[in-house]
Amino acid sequence: MNEHSRVLERDKLDIAEPLSDVELRLPAVLPRESYPIETLTPDARQQTRAVGQRVTRPDGRLHGLGQTKYIDDLSFPGMLYARIKRAGIASARIKRIDTSAAEAMPGVMAVLTGKEIPVNSFGPSFQDQPVLVDDLVFHAGDGVAAVAAVTEQIANEALEKIVVEYEPLPAVLDPVAAMREDSPKVHAPNSNIYATKTIRKGDVEKGLAESDHIFEDRFSTQMIEHVSLEPHAAIADWDANGRLTIWATIGRITLARADIARTLKLPMSRIRIIGTIVGGNFGGKNEISQEPALALLSKKTGRPVKGVFTRGEEFTSTTTRHPIIMDYKTGVTNKGRILARQIRLVLDGGAYCSWSETTLGKACILAPGPYKIDNVLSEAFVVYTNKTMTGAMRGFGAPQVCFAYESQMDDIAKKLGIDPLEIRLLNAFDEGSPSPTGQVLHSVVIKESLRKAADRFDWEPRS
Amino acid sequence: MTDVTMTINGQTRSASVPPETTLLQLLRENFNLTGAKLGCDVGDCGACTVIVDGQAVNSCLMLAGQADGRQVLTIEGLASREHLHPIQKAFENSGALQCGFCGPGVLLSAKALLDDNLDPSTQEIRDALSGNLCRCTGYTKMIEAVQEAARLLREESRTQLTHARPEVATP
Repeated sequence: MNEHSRVLERDKLDIAEPLSDVELRLPAVLPRESYPIETLTPDARQQTRAVGQRVTRPDGRLHGLGQTKYIDDLSFPGMLYARIKRAGIASARIKRIDTSAAEAMPGVMAVLTGKEIPVNSFGPSFQDQPVLVDDLVFHAGDGVAAVAAVTEQIANEALEKIVVEYEPLPAVLDPVAAMREDSPKVHAPNSNIYATKTIRKGDVEKGLAESDHIFEDRFSTQMIEHVSLEPHAAIADWDANGRLTIWATIGRITLARADIARTLKLPMSRIRIIGTIVGGNFGGKNEISQEPALALLSKKTGRPVKGVFTRGEEFTSTTTRHPIIMDYKTGVTNKGRILARQIRLVLDGGAYCSWSETTLGKACILAPGPYKIDNVLSEAFVVYTNKTMTGAMRGFGAPQVCFAYESQMDDIAKKLGIDPLEIRLLNAFDEGSPSPTGQVLHSVVIKESLRKAADRFDWEPRS
Repeated sequence: MTDVTMTINGQTRSASVPPETTLLQLLRENFNLTGAKLGCDVGDCGACTVIVDGQAVNSCLMLAGQADGRQVLTIEGLASREHLHPIQKAFENSGALQCGFCGPGVLLSAKALLDDNLDPSTQEIRDALSGNLCRCTGYTKMIEAVQEAARLLREESRTQLTHARPEVATP
């Protein structure tokens, strides 16, 4: 007899009574074993009793029981469901929005457009992103109108009844072409290049001139969506006291509160944000998205409003990882020692800044790699295009440049006939090495790590 | 409207729903069983996995009407009132769930596997979990947890306990 049927058999015994929803759940709430608390201040690198011990997650019990409450698991009396109409066109001017047919539908309680938002812009460094676009469409995933209805299905049907007339505008899709002066501007009249960073160390021209070999390569990476299993979701409740409560899947609730206060022209003291357990973030839930729109729909209707993105919206309307076009020019000696490295990074920023400045800086600083190079010139540009905006994602640009410099290291090793491990050990940082920005590095274990890794998987020299 | 009656976690339940209602919507909205999650709504991610007549299914792809008259097990019915199911115990002890959103689906895929096979190979576990995506990428620990759960269940079946399941000692 398998486990499933055993459970069923046991429960058949007391099945006669009328059933409530509660009886479908079988709460097994065991007392958790507490760990002894010891006050201990370890010295650096000291192996403490905590390190190496097995631990369980404090929320693991609820996860396993299916009792963790994510946003979509919450509901409130009278709650409405919001859906957002997406532009579906990369660059356009909105000539007309007609929401009357949607508003007339039974079950539709409110429709919201961008013009109704008090301050229609937000963003963690530049406030260049509208909550709902009101005049210009900057990328296909932009929201043009939001609907609150008694069911999700009615809200979806209402979106189809909203008529939007667009005047298509030229779209900027190639980040390198977007850098040219004659390129159409995404956010006219501003340049498409919205942030830059340069790192100089030594004399890169001299270093290249002294090198025995010059390697010039272009590497590029693609746009990547976080695809956290839980989609972006929020519930907004604007109560009769003029106070706003938002349940949201946001990792940075304090920043979100400031952004929401700004867009709604509401004092922060009137806004309460409840950060629920986040079903995966990875950098994709570090800023607000639909929350101000939900808040205004709640204000219009006097009812709580829930909004959950579809998987499609996750890809088109939330931040992604920057695609970067990376030009590397590296000068090395015959023995494989790197003398100079010149790097030019072009980050495709998409339609809005989001966390691009942070990503730009980190990518630029890390672009030369963990190697002792006396002459470095690293230049980075992030540019607007009419594509889904790029923002924070694990590593903030570090994985992209790692792909480039490590790929080039392999090319150099192959060309010079040096073992790929040896060329890395020859150039890698040591304890106290200065980084390209002059920071003196401590706790540097890259060589030990490489040797240990090579030992563990039986690295055989391939050259 | 379609009338459906099915056994959910051992209890007979009925509802009258629009014919396009999925089993996932029925569970979440009509019966307030929110353990099964909506991740992609197209059967890719497995967050909505439940067990229907012993088979792990994507409840977002099954209509409520298709489950009429059948036995449905959701994550809410896996534990007993007194004890965690060994799979839940093993997942908790292994730290196999991070954000937890994929958890209910993964646990039920593992349950469907272990109901048929109490000594699965690593490859068989991988195959059984292949329809469940985890973006925190804890697959290694999940596989360890399923192996541990299989060990606990084998022990349990050897001791032939038919009443309360013995509490498993925390390693």
